[in-house]
Amino acid sequence: MSKLNATDIQGFVLRGYNMPCARFCFLHFPDAKSARHLLGQLLPAVTTGQLWEGGKPQSTVNIAFTFKGLAALELPIATLISFPVEFQQGMKARANILGDTGKNAPEHWDELWREGHVHAWLAIHALTPAALDARHAELSALVTSTGVRLLDAQDAGSLVIDGQLTTKEHFGYTDGFGNPDYLGVCRSTQPGQGKLLPDGKTWAPLATGELLLGYADEAGELPVAPVPHILAANGTFMVYRKLHENVGTYRNFLNTWAARYGSSSDDAKEKLASKFIGRWRDGTPIESSPDAPDQAIVKDPNLNTDFTYGADASGSRCPIGAHVRRVHPRDAFGFNGKLVNRRRITRRGLPYGPYTPEPPDPNAPLTQSEIATLDSTDRGVVFMVLNACLSRQFEFVQQQWISYGNDAHLGNEKDLLLGTHKEGERFSIQGDATAANPPLFCTALPNFVELRGGDYFFLPSITALAMIARELVDPR
Amino acid sequence: MSNQNGSVFGLTFLCPILNDAAASPSHDLQIRDYLSTLDTRAGSPFAIAPGTHLARLAVMDDVIFVGSPAIEEHLQSKYLVFETNCDSDVDPYIRGLASAVPEHLDAVWQHCTGYPGAADATKLVAYMKACQIPTSFFFAAVNNKSVTQTLTALQTQQAVAHFIASHQGMEPAQLQREFLSFVQTLRALPCPAPCSIIPTGGPR
Repeated sequence: MSKLNATDIQGFVLRGYNMPCARFCFLHFPDAKSARHLLGQLLPAVTTGQLWEGGKPQSTVNIAFTFKGLAALELPIATLISFPVEFQQGMKARANILGDTGKNAPEHWDELWREGHVHAWLAIHALTPAALDARHAELSALVTSTGVRLLDAQDAGSLVIDGQLTTKEHFGYTDGFGNPDYLGVCRSTQPGQGKLLPDGKTWAPLATGELLLGYADEAGELPVAPVPHILAANGTFMVYRKLHENVGTYRNFLNTWAARYGSSSDDAKEKLASKFIGRWRDGTPIESSPDAPDQAIVKDPNLNTDFTYGADASGSRCPIGAHVRRVHPRDAFGFNGKLVNRRRITRRGLPYGPYTPEPPDPNAPLTQSEIATLDSTDRGVVFMVLNACLSRQFEFVQQQWISYGNDAHLGNEKDLLLGTHKEGERFSIQGDATAANPPLFCTALPNFVELRGGDYFFLPSITALAMIARELVDPR
Repeated sequence: MSNQNGSVFGLTFLCPILNDAAASPSHDLQIRDYLSTLDTRAGSPFAIAPGTHLARLAVMDDVIFVGSPAIEEHLQSKYLVFETNCDSDVDPYIRGLASAVPEHLDAVWQHCTGYPGAADATKLVAYMKACQIPTSFFFAAVNNKSVTQTLTALQTQQAVAHFIASHQGMEPAQLQREFLSFVQTLRALPCPAPCSIIPTGGPR
């Protein structure tokens, strides 16, 4: 493969910045000229994938466009129609495929996403709130001066719990493990992060073309991409989803079912919480450590994503429908994982909204009004996905593995926390015959997470940004 | 072995469609028109007649010329393609269709050359055998279970899941009593009709 040019790829694509503060600004272009002018001004500020030799900068800037944004930029029609159809349609039009129905249907989304005026995503990540505000002030002055409209901004940031910065989300799970490794993208690879080799044990990076346009993918093909090639190469597609978390519903559900779980484990409630996701809430994979959390595993990159399901076909350690097993089945479908290599996605995300600590007695029943208050607080996760092909990667995972269970022989069961549940559904915890690990069917499933909006974006290379800004995109 | 995988059969028939320049609309269009109105669920002829796992009817117009260096070739007629995954070989399977849904067979196949009609099952079987081509490799949704066994298994799976969900944690002696009574009830249930098992909370 060719060596990647990190200075041509937006830094947000190549790595998670691991910065605690972020603000995602959403822009509307009133006309192509002002939008191109803004892009030209922004170009020098866009953070690339180049290594930070002097340590992390105070803040970063990245930009991506919806299809409507590219149309507003007046890209040539021959270029516009060459984008994949799901990107042209946008996420709202894909609601039925994605299971974004019921409470998650577009008519319930935030006004920003219902109206469909978003043309660009301008992301700032920062080390401190002060650095975030400073960069935001600078950028919003620039945006306003060009006549481009700043529609809205979404703040997000690492949760501070007991005075400590964490990588937890509002339900209490430690997040951010297990992004895939790609050839040429990662300096070092981590076991469990790429694809499983035929020996069933060793992991190797996935083909670059699973993440970046312009490179061969796992099928040895170039991903479907717009013309000209230079507009697409080193770019990728991004999914932005604002996922509201119903914290009261989650805590009440966990307490209710923990009381019925019947595990003799010292901490049956935590064990049950771990069965929902496939990791203990401290991050320990239950496939590696089913009986208790183990910080030694969590902290060791050689261990915290290195596991397979081949020896756990019955799901007695990690339930077959647990979140991590659904979205990355590893070897669970046989063939040494070959069936999953074209369905991997890179996730970037941060929580938003205030964290509410657990009450002094976390097992005390919650009143209906306490549940309602916890649920109605505006908080959740800004969930972002990067992948070369929206339909083959993100949409497949969301439709087949989150919203359906057939591949895992689970019939219509959905992901417990992310699924849009209907009456009569259940979540199965297989367990075994030991007292500490009983089976359980959870029923009357509420909706833990609600989609509040989002869209599909094209995240171009630095070269492509310059071409767009200078009106040089030529599909011929 | 061609045409069979486990206890499931994969049968393929290519029936030439009448080439009558005077027919308007043409016979292939009349087949397409009729097929487009067929129910695909409980009212489907393949749900009404016994023993079909999956079936597909399609009109094949011609081979498509994909451009040079391929050679331009054409079929001598249009064909009705009938592919089916079913529980028995041609003879009993076609007799089952002829007895359960003769009106559908006639409505579709009357547009095919040499079709003898569904009323005479022996002639119909001979006709279909003449049109059959070997099916060497096919997709079987379920390899070794009949349609009846599959439907009963789905019914059992749903009932057992419901039983567990509503009885888990129950005191053992009572659980055993209720389980034994549940098993008796379940055994007494008739095989559900095709398309009658509605998945709970189904995604589509």
